[in-house]
Amino acid sequence: MEKLFEILRPDFLLHHALYGSVVVGFVCPLVGVYFILRRLVFWGVALPQVSAAGISFAFMLQGFGWTAFAGNEADERHLAILGALLFTGLAILLLAALDRRGKGASEGRIGALYAAAGAASILFVAWNAAGETEMMSLLKGELVSLSEEDLHAMLNVFGVVTASAFLFQREFLLVSYDRDMAVTLGRNVLLWDVALYSLVGVTISLGVMTVGPLVIFGFLVLPPMAALPWARGITSLSLLASAIGGLSAFAGFFVSYSHDLPLGPVIVVVASAALLVSGLLHELAGRRR
Amino acid sequence: MGTGEPLIRFKHAAIGYGRKVVLSGVDLAVERDAFVGVLGPNGSGKTTLMRTLLGLIPCLKGQLVLSGAGGRPPRLGYVPQKERLDPIFPLSAYDVASMGAYRRFDLMRRLRREDDRPLVERALAACGASALAARAYGDLSGGQKQRVLIARALASEPQLLVLDEPLAGIDVSTQKALIELLRKLKVERGLTVLMVSHRIHVERGLFTHVLLCDEGEATIGPTEEMLSGGRLRALFENEP
Repeated sequence: MEKLFEILRPDFLLHHALYGSVVVGFVCPLVGVYFILRRLVFWGVALPQVSAAGISFAFMLQGFGWTAFAGNEADERHLAILGALLFTGLAILLLAALDRRGKGASEGRIGALYAAAGAASILFVAWNAAGETEMMSLLKGELVSLSEEDLHAMLNVFGVVTASAFLFQREFLLVSYDRDMAVTLGRNVLLWDVALYSLVGVTISLGVMTVGPLVIFGFLVLPPMAALPWARGITSLSLLASAIGGLSAFAGFFVSYSHDLPLGPVIVVVASAALLVSGLLHELAGRRR
Repeated sequence: MGTGEPLIRFKHAAIGYGRKVVLSGVDLAVERDAFVGVLGPNGSGKTTLMRTLLGLIPCLKGQLVLSGAGGRPPRLGYVPQKERLDPIFPLSAYDVASMGAYRRFDLMRRLRREDDRPLVERALAACGASALAARAYGDLSGGQKQRVLIARALASEPQLLVLDEPLAGIDVSTQKALIELLRKLKVERGLTVLMVSHRIHVERGLFTHVLLCDEGEATIGPTEEMLSGGRLRALFENEP
């Protein structure tokens, strides 16, 4: 309990890291529910890896002396976010365009993208030994220290993502559930797809910068899956998944801090435990009915 | 097909996907208040014609003119095949039916979702589906799902109702109940209806006209006239 009170104190040394991971835990499942409902779970694996490749690429450029934005640590971080956004955005555009053509195996493309992005992440780092430590800790899910300014910027962006996810929930639901119906109702399916994918891209890019690709994949998939059996409608699914994500992040941080374990894997294990408990409870509830 | 401006007119149209023409030389009109059965063998282009009509794919050649009230395109109500909707979505029957009301959506309505409730409840009641509203859509039987999907289409306040094989995979007694429902809704709401079907035996009394897709062509005429033609009879004479 002492450790719990310690991390809750405002002057806790890692309070930015705690707030950052909990906010990512709350927000990621809000876009993750659409991965589950659209049966695009593999996107959730590949895109964080692509995002990590973008960050790795930005570090490599800095290693080669390309410092268009990068002058101090904060600027390096901004360049890395830019790399993540660029790579994730291009990957989403590519996957969405190929899916719209409807040809070939979608899973195969995503698998190839994941493999290429994973390899690129490592190679980009190999070409820039200076960024290796930071990048490797990011890939393992070690929380990169967040400055006050970065935390506020993240809160602002994730605030917009959260507001958009709820404000445009009907459109996102309609184009995900029945695209043909959306067209007959005069909705621009392409526009709403782009809007949804933009939220996904921003969330993944910022999230990967904060907690790494492993944790982001976990947050995109595990809380929505744990919430799904209990949800009655898209709003309850979103709220429940978000709550499970946020609480998993907090519990994971607490366990990680109190037992000196790496944060990322602990958060994923906690979220996995939530999925397991949810499944068991649902099974029990089904037997009683 | 009667007098007045037709609601739907295909003018020398070729329809299909990409470069593949499925139906060519489509030159036909559908009058207001008609109940049209869109018939034809598998792969004959029924669904392609319907998707073109709904605006999901463009005409490859020629023109499709839709003339609703005031010359504007008519409001469309669409009932897809029930299997097309993924059961993973945790939606109640009410949630599904309420999607029809999304047409009325604007910024203020976004904040006052309850405004749509009377419209959705009336649509569910008109389809005998009020008691299903709170149930999970995925748990409903085939006939119940079809009622909810028809209610969803009605909630969009359509002038033209398009149904894609609504009686497929449903037992005979439920089929008859749905046919009665469609007959009633058409009369009460003055709808023009296009219904894609594989069969004609059960629905025969419902259709005022038959649109036959066969061998790359589409023709339309009054039901009895079309049925007296050898081709349509040959297609459906072995129907159970």
